[in-house]
Amino acid sequence: MSIKTDPNLKKELREFGVTNVDNCYHCGNCTATCPLSTSDNSFPRKMMKYVQMGLKDKIKASPEPWLCYYCGDCSVKCPRGAEPGENMMAIRRYLTSLYDWTGFSKKFYTSEKFEYLAIGTVGLIVGLILILFHGTPDMEHAKLNSVWPAHIVEIGDVLMGGVLAFLLLSNTWRCISFILGDLKSKIPMGIYISQAKELIIHFLTQKKFAECEDRMPWFVHLMIMTGYATVFLLVVGFLAGGIHFIGLYDERLMFQRDIIYPLYHPIRLLGYYSTFALFYGVTYAMIGRLKKSKPSYKFSHSTDWMFLILLQLTTLTGILIHVTRLVDLPMPTYALYVIHMMVCIPMLVLEVPFAKWAHLAYRPVAIYLTKVKAAYVAQAGSSETAE
Amino acid sequence: MAEKKIALYVCSGCGIGDALNVADLEKNGTDECKDAQTKTHAFLCSQEGIDSIKNDIANEGVNRICVAACSQRAVYDAFDFEGCITERVNIREQVAWSHKSQDEDSQMMAEDYIRMGLVKLNESSPVEPFIPEEELSKDILVVGGGVAGLTAAKESAEAGYKVILVEKEAKLGGYQANLSKVAVLPYKGISDNNIGELVSAVESSDKITVYTSAAIEKTDGSPGLFSVTIKHGGESIEHKAGAIVMAAGWQPYDPSSLGNGYGYGKSKDVITNAMFEELIKEGTIARPSDGRTVENVVFLQCAGQRDPEHLSYCSSFCCITALKQALQVKEQNSNANVYVVYKEMRTAGHAEDLYRAAQEAGVIFIRSQEREVQAGNGLAVEALDELLGEKVLLDNLDMVVLATGVVPATATGDDVYAKVLAEGEEAVEKKKDEMAIPPDIIRASDILNLSYRQGPELPALFNDFPDSHFICFPYETRRTGIYAAGCVRRAMGISAAMEDARGAAMKAIQSVELITNGQAVHPRAGDLSYADFNLSRCTQCKRCTVECPFGAINEDEKGNPQYQATRCRRCGICMGACPERIIGFKDYSVPIIGNMIKIISMPEEDEEKPRILVFACENDAYPALDMVGLHRMQYNAWVRVIPLRCLGSMNLVWIADSLSSGFDGILLLGCQHGDDYQCHFVRGSELSKIRLSKVSETLDRMQLEAERVRYETLSINDYHKLPALLDEFAETLDGFGANPFKEF
Repeated sequence: MSIKTDPNLKKELREFGVTNVDNCYHCGNCTATCPLSTSDNSFPRKMMKYVQMGLKDKIKASPEPWLCYYCGDCSVKCPRGAEPGENMMAIRRYLTSLYDWTGFSKKFYTSEKFEYLAIGTVGLIVGLILILFHGTPDMEHAKLNSVWPAHIVEIGDVLMGGVLAFLLLSNTWRCISFILGDLKSKIPMGIYISQAKELIIHFLTQKKFAECEDRMPWFVHLMIMTGYATVFLLVVGFLAGGIHFIGLYDERLMFQRDIIYPLYHPIRLLGYYSTFALFYGVTYAMIGRLKKSKPSYKFSHSTDWMFLILLQLTTLTGILIHVTRLVDLPMPTYALYVIHMMVCIPMLVLEVPFAKWAHLAYRPVAIYLTKVKAAYVAQAGSSETAE
Repeated sequence: MAEKKIALYVCSGCGIGDALNVADLEKNGTDECKDAQTKTHAFLCSQEGIDSIKNDIANEGVNRICVAACSQRAVYDAFDFEGCITERVNIREQVAWSHKSQDEDSQMMAEDYIRMGLVKLNESSPVEPFIPEEELSKDILVVGGGVAGLTAAKESAEAGYKVILVEKEAKLGGYQANLSKVAVLPYKGISDNNIGELVSAVESSDKITVYTSAAIEKTDGSPGLFSVTIKHGGESIEHKAGAIVMAAGWQPYDPSSLGNGYGYGKSKDVITNAMFEELIKEGTIARPSDGRTVENVVFLQCAGQRDPEHLSYCSSFCCITALKQALQVKEQNSNANVYVVYKEMRTAGHAEDLYRAAQEAGVIFIRSQEREVQAGNGLAVEALDELLGEKVLLDNLDMVVLATGVVPATATGDDVYAKVLAEGEEAVEKKKDEMAIPPDIIRASDILNLSYRQGPELPALFNDFPDSHFICFPYETRRTGIYAAGCVRRAMGISAAMEDARGAAMKAIQSVELITNGQAVHPRAGDLSYADFNLSRCTQCKRCTVECPFGAINEDEKGNPQYQATRCRRCGICMGACPERIIGFKDYSVPIIGNMIKIISMPEEDEEKPRILVFACENDAYPALDMVGLHRMQYNAWVRVIPLRCLGSMNLVWIADSLSSGFDGILLLGCQHGDDYQCHFVRGSELSKIRLSKVSETLDRMQLEAERVRYETLSINDYHKLPALLDEFAETLDGFGANPFKEF
């Protein structure tokens, strides 16, 4: 059965950031230079071909885009300026939209107008809720819990976390189905379990990224990732010192607390670490994108900027809140809190299941699936020879 | 010329004096030519050395100079003495540098070479330029008014030569006139067809006479003396011409013979690249079947090209044409889906930029060796995509454009020799003289209508193209003074055709200039010798007229050869072919070489010094032997080398003579022949090989082993193989024992 080409797919993919793909004449320098490409999962040349020919099904089933961390060596070595690195990035955006069953992601990526509108709307709703529903503010001292008590906000937190987790997991399930296809049910459960540690290792360390020649992007990425994960843990897990509404909490570990912890307190230290890590990483990336200092910063999709801006605003407002609380200014603290929430909630709600943040699941899962597949093929091969 | 006075000069520089006993060598001269004066110089090519020779010329009346020093290929400009015959004896590269120092055998070798040189000098007569009685013309005839012909005409006219341009169509412009847009150097994109500029430049030149709707009825004569009859408007016009640029062009390959896989004839929407040009002249690129503008187009490359069943060669411009046409489709509708299904994209040099432009315009390229046009229900192309490793189906196509290739104008008409074969045994028997050697392919394609004994058109090198070795002898056809350019020579695009035309025009100009001076044209440019025929002894065997690779010899009704000196390239192949030995040059003849062979001292059998005679082509094998010396490699000391203008000039009598005078073995070193020939005279080494096949009879009669005569092809960069080759041959001969004729 012959494959059917779809030249119109390329036009669609341009919206996701595919660029210069027509320049590729398949010399394979990109694949040869890539430190992560393997003979089983070779990229990026293959993906360039899929895009040129409009082979949607092939793209959909490819884990390769997620195996790439965009060091940009391929784009530098490309004799034709076909930007294989950026095209891999664009394919990741496209895949994110394919995995998303709601169709939201596609709109978010392909329409800037929709992107701004979605962020604006979510931000406004958050602001309205915070302004409309609040307790009696303490105007003498900056006490956030007097306005929005942590154990109440936590309920929203957990609700949001649940919805996001559901969306992300259901999208991830589609990702798994696309990548494995028929194999998904054929592969024995034992293999899935035996390879599970790969999932966790890659999720936590992005150690593949460190195999790229330039290790700076890996470091920056690690800073943003750990900073974000830490603060996420603090906000979702410890806003009220644990899960307050089921009674599993300790007030000594509360993140949103009116009395500031002493400097050595782990919660305060973790807060500082995440703030520093995020601020450092995001600032580095923003300057990089402005100066186009690395191949991976050469092209910036509107969603790349939006992601960085929201993250930076979240960090900055977080820092400011900390300052106003330290100097005990009640009104500015409350106002900044509203802004902080108006920025960080849309970022979480929109980016985690539908956009850039989703790669936190897709990337380790794709790596994991390639290991699963390899283990399965090896096993099938050895049982065949045994027969 | 005055009485001959020979002088021998032996150089002892460059290590010659250390390796050889120069004083003894000098004695050779006096032994051999009693009246010869001899001199030794430590640095003969120095100003002082040259001055001493010049002094002898001026004051002693010396007029024949034997220089025993380096190879004839070194410092040839220093040893050039006007009014004298100079013979170079190579005792540096081929003796001192390639054999043992202060050795008896090396010394004997050098002495032999000096004696051979002196004999040659003694027997040569001075050469004089060939100036015919008839007035020579310097006009250039250009055949074909396409881009190559027009360029050749324009360039020749600008160089100051009168040009006669003959075009068979009513208008100038050739194939290019059919095109809407062109892709030419520097290939930054596609541009408007500007052939009109070239046409008006030619039409407005007062040095160019243009005949359109004209044909050449007859081309008589020879370079410098061509007499061309042009049929034009019902009358025959005669013109004199010195040289001819043949740019008769090409035709597209007939797509109807392509077969089913290409869908031609099954669907109206399957067209060729040539038909595409006609289509686009209408204004829009629309489906031939219903006139709808096209959305999905496939360009299928190599339709019948590089395919032994159709055209075995690459037509070189179809990739660029496909890019141009694909861009034209994209210009009409940038959303159109345009595919190029190719075997290999061949966009050499700057044309790569056009490839890039097409890629940037969104043309999709699919590399595939297995592809099929499906023209049943709707039009589709199925192709095995090599980069995917899977078959892809391109369907809902509006048009498939097949890249059919170039068929040169010389490919039409019957092959003169095939015709004889087809006429049956009787005809072959009648023409057995002609059929004795593998015939050239000459088709009666009605372009030049040459009155040459070997056929009316240019012989083809391969695939009916009258091409030549592309590095060594560009534009040179097998007919001296006639230079092929453009697609008739080899498939090429517009830019290449223009360059080709300039090259061919240059060659034509060189040809008329040399001929005016009475000199040979390429490859022995400047040679003043030419062949003498002693016709009173001719037996009309036709060997010379058949074997001359350049058709230089016509025949009268009785079969007597009619030598056309200005067609001749002075290779001496006729001299080698002639069984009666009636052909020779003043400084190169059967007796001269024969006497050189005889002068070589032949040691008695009990001395255990065998002798091997090497006939080496002076264009490749001889320089290869020099290279052995330059690299200070050593080779067998039994060897004696005689350089030949071409191995094809080897006359069998030399073989018989040398065997009967006691040589133990004979080695013939010639050049590669065939499609990728390196022979300067195209067929010389091949002909000598064929001739040699008749030698075994002679050897049998003499009761000698056939292996005593060996033939090898050699190119100059094979020099390092020579010592082993010579040693191995010596060993073989050793196995046979000494030549029994030594005793007589």
